[in-house]
Amino acid sequence: MRARSLSGTRRPGLAFETGLRRALATAAVSLAAFYIAGLLFLLVRGGAKLVTFTSFASPLSGIEGEGVLRFVVAASLFGAVGWGVTGLARAVLAKTGRSSVRIDRALSAVVVAAAIVGALASANHLPRFLISLPSETRAGGGVGPELFNTVYFAVLSTALTLPIGVGAAVYISRFARSKALVSSARVALDTLSSLPSIVYGLFGFLVFVVQMKAGYSLAAGAFVLALLNLPLVVSISEEAIRAVPRELEDASTALGATPVQTTFRVTLPHAWPGILSALVLSIGRVFAESAPLIMTAGTTISRANAYSLNPFRGGETLAVHLWYVNSSGLSPDRPEVSAGTAALLIVLVGLTNLLASKLARFGGASGTRSRRARG
Amino acid sequence: MSLAAIDKREMERLPLSKAPLRAGKGRFDVADGAIRLVLAACGLFVVVATCTLLVFVARVGVRGVFAVGLGPLLGGTVWKPEAKVFGGLPLVFGTFVSALGATLVGAIPAVLAAVWVSELGPKAMGPLYRRTMEIASAIPSVVFGWLALVHLVPVMERVARLLHGDPTRVGGEGLASSSVLLGVMVAPTVLLLSLDALGRVPSSLREASAALGASPWQTAFRVSIPSAWRGLVIAVFFGFARAAGETMAVQMVIGGARKLPADAFSATTTISTQVVMDMQNARPDTLESDVLFSMALVLLLFSVAMVLVTRLLARRASR
Repeated sequence: MRARSLSGTRRPGLAFETGLRRALATAAVSLAAFYIAGLLFLLVRGGAKLVTFTSFASPLSGIEGEGVLRFVVAASLFGAVGWGVTGLARAVLAKTGRSSVRIDRALSAVVVAAAIVGALASANHLPRFLISLPSETRAGGGVGPELFNTVYFAVLSTALTLPIGVGAAVYISRFARSKALVSSARVALDTLSSLPSIVYGLFGFLVFVVQMKAGYSLAAGAFVLALLNLPLVVSISEEAIRAVPRELEDASTALGATPVQTTFRVTLPHAWPGILSALVLSIGRVFAESAPLIMTAGTTISRANAYSLNPFRGGETLAVHLWYVNSSGLSPDRPEVSAGTAALLIVLVGLTNLLASKLARFGGASGTRSRRARG
Repeated sequence: MSLAAIDKREMERLPLSKAPLRAGKGRFDVADGAIRLVLAACGLFVVVATCTLLVFVARVGVRGVFAVGLGPLLGGTVWKPEAKVFGGLPLVFGTFVSALGATLVGAIPAVLAAVWVSELGPKAMGPLYRRTMEIASAIPSVVFGWLALVHLVPVMERVARLLHGDPTRVGGEGLASSSVLLGVMVAPTVLLLSLDALGRVPSSLREASAALGASPWQTAFRVSIPSAWRGLVIAVFFGFARAAGETMAVQMVIGGARKLPADAFSATTTISTQVVMDMQNARPDTLESDVLFSMALVLLLFSVAMVLVTRLLARRASR
């Protein structure tokens, strides 16, 4: 019997207990309802800014890479919609028992086609908010460069976190020869995970802006964010690696594979979904973080290189923009811009969260490899 | 070899690192060794990066402490970088009172809600509740800050008017606003951690309690909570530490006045707020900048102390 069913089957208890239970239940349910209502409010309040396509083609403002950015934004927008719709279709087909490999491939092709066709058709009709430059003083500013910087930060910091975090996790869980290094790495990770983000900001400021005299740069911000995400990535990756069935590794060793071969051909592929979910979660934190970025990457957008891939320029992200607009922005439509930015952030963070939990479900003993092996 | 001996060997499997480098021929593979070296370097990087971070921030911070003196820095009530007067008491006070308020407003109710969800509520509720809180805990803190600035501060201002009747002296920005904001921010995380802690209580304990005739309420409060208390305390500590370290959201609602507040409804400041605001004006390697590192060091030492306490608690809990 599971303990959860206790509440249903036991005697109700004294009268005052029932009253207290009711009070607690009301409080707990209204707590959840409060957050759900808040999320819905944010989406409704700012959602309009994200979906109002323009009937006229918005002119390019002559910034390098703007056309490419528009195409990518439109493609990912329509790709996401297509992915959602075909996901529903797949679920329905699976329920009715009519799913096959051929239909599956056709649906994937539909997603790609929708993304490309939608992007070609509407790249110049995207919501102005998503593609235009921010404005300090006038109404109608957008978050195009901020959106670009946010995603670019995610890429840059993941490029640092992935090898170092997974490498450290593999070392700690599989190859550790020296106990001292493992225990000091654990203490270090615990310390890192507890530090307030402002301390990371100060560190990045000290190293990159003061010592290296490099000024505010995306690279500095990405490095600081990678450091901030290390504890999360290492701990979840380690868990995923430890969840790999030992039989698989033993079998690999028995076939004559070296430990390194076993790790890279058996353990890591098997733990990959769990590791990916850690990375996706850390990307969510990149989207959300603001204080360290203000001190390492600055709060400005320069018109000249708004969409440049050069990591040694400064630039703000969506979260920083939301703060900046409210603390020192002067534009009259501040509430609207804030609402749109907040809604966009919620959508991004919600999507990463969804993706992470989907990936985590594939992880562990029911990982892709073993499922494929079972047919 | 007897079957029992094989079983025993099966049970004490050798860790991979002890397995032979290459079965059969004993040829040392260069690539293999290089990969091992790279992996060890990753582990080492974590340690080195952490030490560098601590040393860098501490070195500048300690310089600031020596320049001003520990007593004035923590006990002085006037913070005026432009006059080179650095009394950090308003900052420290604001940080800890907001965090304490957040614990009362957010963390404690979150623990109680977790008790209901995991012990008393309907079974189907659990995953749904957890999902909601996972998404809520991922909301960026600036979004919370913006919402509080637009919707909470006016409410607090009305409350302040109601209490004081003097519209000139008080406003909505201050410790009350920041406490409520931080409480709302930390509650989902504390709730998730509490759910984990309660989930680790073996169900045999609950069954034994029920078999003795205890009601669900009695089981929850006399069996489950006492056996999970370390995890619950860790959850509340975590919430407190996160509230104390929060920066941008608090900056938006605390008011930014660099003095001790007259009451919960007057503007004051916190360590992180002041650091992020003053850092934009302070030139590096000046006293103004060093002192900000000292204040950040206070925050850092506090959070490291929290880690030590929770590690101690967790070690006892696992024993």
